[in-house]
Amino acid sequence: MNIHSAVILAAGEGARLRPLTKYRPKPMLPAGNRPILEHVLDALVDADITDLHLVVGHERDRVQNHFGSQYRGAPITYHVQDKQLGSGHALLQARDAIDEDFLVLNGDEIVAAKTVQQVIDAHTTTETATLSVIESEKAAEYGAVRLKDNRVTELVEKPRNKQYHLLNRGVYAFGPSIFAEIESTPRTDGELSITDTISRLIERDASVKGVRTEGIWSAATYPWDLLSVASDVLSRGLVNEPEVAPQTYVADTAHIHEDATLHAPVVIGPDTTIGPQAVIGPDTAIGQNVTIGAGSVIEHSIIDADSRVDPNATLVQTVTGQAVDIGAGVTAPGGPADVRVQNTIHENATLGCVIADRAEIGGATTIAPGALLGPEAKIQAGGYVTGNINEGAEVRR
Amino acid sequence: MCGIIGCINRDDAVDVLLNGLENLEYRGYDSAGIALAMGEAGTAVMKKEGRLKHLEEAVRANPTLQARTGIGHTRWSTHGPPSDANSHPHTDESGRVAVVHNGIIENYQSLRDELEARGTTFSSDTDSEVVPHLIAEHLNEGKSPREAFEAAVKRVDGSYALAAIIDGTDQIFTTRHDSPLVLGVGQDAYYLASDVPAFLEHTRDVIYLDDDELAVLSPDGYTVYDPHGNQVQKEVNRVEWSAEQTGKSGYDHFMLKEINEQPTSLRQCLSGRVDELEGTIEVEELDDLPVPQQVQFVACGTSYHAALYGAHLLRQSGVPASAYLASEYATSPAPVTEDSLVVGVTQSGETADTLSALREARSRGARTLALTNVVGSTASRECDHTVYIRAGPEIGVAATKTFSSQLVALDLFIEELLGSEGRNEDVRDLIGALRSLPDEIQQVLDETNAKHIVDEYVDKDAFFFIGRGLHYPVALEGALKFKEITYEHAEGFAAGELKHGPLALVTRNTPIFAIVTGEGEQARKTIGNVKEVEARDAPVIAVTDGVSDVERYADHTLSIPETDPRTAPMLANVQLQLVSYHMANHLGREIDKPRNLAKSVTVE
Repeated sequence: MNIHSAVILAAGEGARLRPLTKYRPKPMLPAGNRPILEHVLDALVDADITDLHLVVGHERDRVQNHFGSQYRGAPITYHVQDKQLGSGHALLQARDAIDEDFLVLNGDEIVAAKTVQQVIDAHTTTETATLSVIESEKAAEYGAVRLKDNRVTELVEKPRNKQYHLLNRGVYAFGPSIFAEIESTPRTDGELSITDTISRLIERDASVKGVRTEGIWSAATYPWDLLSVASDVLSRGLVNEPEVAPQTYVADTAHIHEDATLHAPVVIGPDTTIGPQAVIGPDTAIGQNVTIGAGSVIEHSIIDADSRVDPNATLVQTVTGQAVDIGAGVTAPGGPADVRVQNTIHENATLGCVIADRAEIGGATTIAPGALLGPEAKIQAGGYVTGNINEGAEVRR
Repeated sequence: MCGIIGCINRDDAVDVLLNGLENLEYRGYDSAGIALAMGEAGTAVMKKEGRLKHLEEAVRANPTLQARTGIGHTRWSTHGPPSDANSHPHTDESGRVAVVHNGIIENYQSLRDELEARGTTFSSDTDSEVVPHLIAEHLNEGKSPREAFEAAVKRVDGSYALAAIIDGTDQIFTTRHDSPLVLGVGQDAYYLASDVPAFLEHTRDVIYLDDDELAVLSPDGYTVYDPHGNQVQKEVNRVEWSAEQTGKSGYDHFMLKEINEQPTSLRQCLSGRVDELEGTIEVEELDDLPVPQQVQFVACGTSYHAALYGAHLLRQSGVPASAYLASEYATSPAPVTEDSLVVGVTQSGETADTLSALREARSRGARTLALTNVVGSTASRECDHTVYIRAGPEIGVAATKTFSSQLVALDLFIEELLGSEGRNEDVRDLIGALRSLPDEIQQVLDETNAKHIVDEYVDKDAFFFIGRGLHYPVALEGALKFKEITYEHAEGFAAGELKHGPLALVTRNTPIFAIVTGEGEQARKTIGNVKEVEARDAPVIAVTDGVSDVERYADHTLSIPETDPRTAPMLANVQLQLVSYHMANHLGREIDKPRNLAKSVTVE
């Protein structure tokens, strides 16, 4: 059926992506050198959605400042979720603005227009809900689905059970009755989740359709996942910058010294400067207004906007926040490494290090693989950093 | 100042007019009205005192009000108080002619006397009403609608953007003299307005009319005539602003949205103009600017504060420079030669006082330069050179992001003047500071405690802002912003001037905002001034980078990152913008449309 409106859930922080989410919600983290959410909105606009509703909460200014009141001609209405009490609760914030069948998407998972279109085409007014599924070995780590013909017979979150091979992509079409269904769903740990509501619909034998969809699906749970997301979007050319050589994307206003080397796939954002003898890429995304000093080597990394990398730094599998300051000769040699996220140790993660917003790394510092440096952390020159460094901490030799 | 709009389309112009007026509301908002060409039913006029929504309700209550051709007006009183009668559009006695006008008709009293002597009865106190009566007289003489409009306009002196509809035609007649007017060319639709945002959602193809050109819009096209009545071909420009930039984007107020936009607008201002690799700053628009012997700035309001900053920096580099209030400039013009450059700082490029000062300077042989936000504005067309600040549209009446972009654009302009020879180190420092500025402002926005501090100082008698050197303009701007939107008494002083008078006003009920960065001589002296007020029990709020020990003498601190002295004022200013915003919000003021004020003032 024809669907014109979409609600995009963009209020969540993404606790497992700390310390990168101190100043922005997870959907604003970079997929390559653009926010994840921008890819989601692209897919919607390409699928002829003309009415966008963003549910915002955590650090919502960043979403509003980036997108303004329209995206590619489609007006955006913002709905504020003051407390993050689950995806169902988020969706309820847009209730008053919706009165016909509509789409719901997660703002933090990259989807393709094709996927969106397949859900729109499959959904009819007979269904209370239509959801999009994909074959994936990761099914058990996300929402896992069982289908009988095109009916969803089971939807279960993170079953940790290898029997599931279909993943819920988080692209839904609903009729307006879904709002009442969400309201009548009992809360789990104080939260309302869309998947709980859908599970109840299935139990009640209400019509829930599953449609097998194609197209990119890429999402980040942990900081190092951002590196594979970047690789996904670069290999598909999902960037704004023009392609100046195969899989080499450079903004018109970037200034790259003639003696610098770019290894594809790589993207360089607007007003970014790359010094002589620097070597950037492969699988590297550089944001806007970044300065990379002479002789620096950056590979398999994301350097976010307004950052500065002084000469002769070496950064491998590094994810930075915005406006970090990396001194001359800093070395981050890359993973694999054991990384502590909240209270769990993840072994053999492919991560050099994470350097969060406005952290300052003094020259000649060595960053051990797997280090997470909090926002505004200050590392004195010549230091050695390992493990997790708190926000604002000063590390002296 | 007022805003006018006109539209001809294929179905119904009413929504376009009402939306357009809403987008122009920043230009004035004590009354609004529309006139529609209803064909056989004649001309319908609906106008209401007060906010646009009063008009909208009245129009919606009357569903027969539909037409393909119409004009509209939002008013900010200059002649006669706000009332239904004084609202535009104005009509002649028979109601055949309806006219909207922005500007001031200087010879209106003599025209009115003359018309009254011939028996015309006026129904309002406005200067504008003479125009429909003049048109009607010429129609009565048998002239065609266009001839009658043309003849009436010839009688009028002053500044004006005029649009008229006349019974028996479905056309709109429009012209301008010293007041802004743009035409919009859409798909089978034609528009006119005082400013592009009025019709930006319908078309981005615009024509800028020159003074005394006259345009006739019809359902099937438009024709532009020069002052002698010859048809002219006008260039159609494409505006780069998109309608998305004129919504509130989820913020409660345009002002807060625009404060938050500053990292983006500054990146935009700098884009392609600073080169860190080469260590050069280049403003493309100024490639052919000869190096002047002296620079004079002319500006009003917030732009004047930017001008003070520019003049200070130029003097610091050994170039004679001074800033003048544009409205005072002509009263005792500073001497100029052909080696003088007079720089008009004006966001809109339409500020009447600034335009008139620039014309004065030009007539005495100086080169002129406009530093403005609006491409195609009068200032940009009349000056020898133009620097664009690229801040994007600003809708909040209180200037915020355009001020920071003016300061950065002044930095760039000054570097272009000085050249980099022999001062490489200095230029490189500035480039680094400018490239860091967007994120430093983001940091202030992320970490500010202005809202909590403001809550402590509600109900005080007055608010004073002090600063020295480059922070003096920021103190003035902080106070101006504060008075504009909170309606509380606020003054900015040069810190050293306190003891020469204003100190007598200082009590425990007059909070002092003191801007202190670094720890040099200026900081030490300002800290001395802080101690003077502290000794009189005044609460002190320090805006500081934390380098000096001013916090010891302050009751509260608004922190900014440590940076180059040239960019510290921009950061301090963001904190003060937030102070004003949160105080006004706390007091429940109409933040985006403060009473008695209009965005750009196109009358002198």
